Amino acid sequence: MNVYLLQVINGVGIGMLYFLLAVGLSIVFGLLRFVNFAHGAFYALGAYLCFQALQFGLNFWAALVLAPVLIGALAWLTEKVMLRYVYAQPHEFHILITVGLALAIQELIIVGWGPLGVDVPPPDVLQGVVMWGDFVYPKYRLFVIGFTALLAMALWWLLEGTRIGSAVRAGSESTEMVSLLGINVFRLFSLMFALGAGTAAIAGVLAAPIRGAEPFMGVEALGVAFIVVVVGGMGSFAGALVGGLLVGVVQSLMSTLWPEGARLMIYVAMAAVLLLRPHGLLGRG
Amino acid sequence: MMASGKQWLIRYRYWWLVLGITVLLPLMMRSGTLATEVLIYAMAAMACNLLLGYTGLLSFGQGIFFGLGSYAVGLALTRFGGLPMPVALLGAAVTGALAAGLVGWFSIRQRGTYFVMLTLAFAQMFYFIAYTAPGLTGGDNGLLDIPRPSIAIGGHALIDLTSSWGFYGFVAVLFLIVFALVLRVTESVLGRTLLAIRDNEERALAVGYNVRAFKLLAFVISGAVTGLAGALHAMLTGIAPLANIDYHASEMILIMTVIGGTSNIFASVLGAAFYVLLADWLSTLWPRWLMLLGFLLIAVSLFMQRGLWGLGASVATRLRGVRSAAATQEERA
Repeated sequence: MNVYLLQVINGVGIGMLYFLLAVGLSIVFGLLRFVNFAHGAFYALGAYLCFQALQFGLNFWAALVLAPVLIGALAWLTEKVMLRYVYAQPHEFHILITVGLALAIQELIIVGWGPLGVDVPPPDVLQGVVMWGDFVYPKYRLFVIGFTALLAMALWWLLEGTRIGSAVRAGSESTEMVSLLGINVFRLFSLMFALGAGTAAIAGVLAAPIRGAEPFMGVEALGVAFIVVVVGGMGSFAGALVGGLLVGVVQSLMSTLWPEGARLMIYVAMAAVLLLRPHGLLGRG
Repeated sequence: MMASGKQWLIRYRYWWLVLGITVLLPLMMRSGTLATEVLIYAMAAMACNLLLGYTGLLSFGQGIFFGLGSYAVGLALTRFGGLPMPVALLGAAVTGALAAGLVGWFSIRQRGTYFVMLTLAFAQMFYFIAYTAPGLTGGDNGLLDIPRPSIAIGGHALIDLTSSWGFYGFVAVLFLIVFALVLRVTESVLGRTLLAIRDNEERALAVGYNVRAFKLLAFVISGAVTGLAGALHAMLTGIAPLANIDYHASEMILIMTVIGGTSNIFASVLGAAFYVLLADWLSTLWPRWLMLLGFLLIAVSLFMQRGLWGLGASVATRLRGVRSAAATQEERA
């Protein structure tokens, strides 16, 4: 089988995870211009909760449901007790407070699970490979592509087809106008913040069987999520999708062509996109 | 004559404070290495403050220039037959300035949060460049055995820098020079223009300033100073590790700057001293001290937004208020 085709499919899988990682960040930013540097920490925590669930004798599917719920609740709580008090401040305090939160979570992970990484096996049903003719592919990675595609559709429906979704989209155009229409923007924001953290946690759970879990995965993920939103355009659902897929495929293809430089190349891709389209591929000017 | 004496004291207040710190550090501390580290990070934090406090640019990429400075001085002193140290330090500053020019040129096309995210992405990019070029940077191990040559004229060694206090003296002199330069920049027309850009970019643009060029200039100055600080750090520890160009290096420099406060350049010195000494003390108590730092950051952003300097200033105002209130009471009595 063609090695490039294989890498493109791998790239789509990774790219869908990147999309899931970036979409929460993007929605939260769109709504209140709040950039969450703790987003990667929620992702890392998701991967560790998956590991812990398996340790407790629960299965992967339980982790896939429990981790986003727990982390969403944690995010909702932190938003209530501290983050909302800095909204009115300049954005360096948004960054500072979430950087502090990310540091605290990272160190809590090390206290709880140790500084070295842990391995997470894929669930039994998804072990092994699928074979169609000469097409051979790991089952788990196919599952990730399918599952994230379903989630993406659900999120798209939430944003485009529901009342909450239209409030979110209107809110990212003009927060003041939406509150004048009688919608409680702060409650909406709490909800979206929890949802964003939840999607990051799902990405963490899904990534755990592929790359394991380690305490510093959050920082790396944050960097990638930023690239995805910069490439795709901030606050745009489609932008996060396109950006995520592009970054995933570039990284995956480059890992065949130039393994050491694969992760470097996604930054080069970012610089190239910014030179041509300063507001991202799908960003509004 | 008393009044003019007092004016003199106030006019040069930052100078008294900075001289006080460089003299007090050796008197108060047993470790020359730690004292030197305070001054080195103070330079890096001042450079960061020039961007954050004076131009309104929150750069998450200061670690790039710090790390590149370390690598530049390491390469210059260990390879090319060992260049003279002043040349090596100059080279590090120039490397920092060039990298800042490049990163700045890309990043200042964006504003606000986009700008911050871009600088962070660049920090990651340079980290991976350093990681993938072990021939130049030593990869994971870093550059080792970076010497601390003596200052020599015509082959005669004048000042020996191998002792930790000897090196402290050398760094202290450079620190004072850098402080003077940065202070001069902030008090010059250039500094005022940067403040104008920080306060209202559209207005500065409308008045006719080339906002991009000024921002880029601030970036280049900041990069040069940070590169020099990185070089001195490599000479202090004898290694140029990957950690110096890491995300956490950028984060640390930014945290020092914000904890100190961004209202003036001296606040950054305060922030660096506070961070380095606190880190040294806490890390002996508990290996996971970064968690406490995380909580400290949350507390600073909620309750102490003007940093240590702002805290000191408001305490001073309150004390003065109490004193003058007491004085009026006495007068009444």
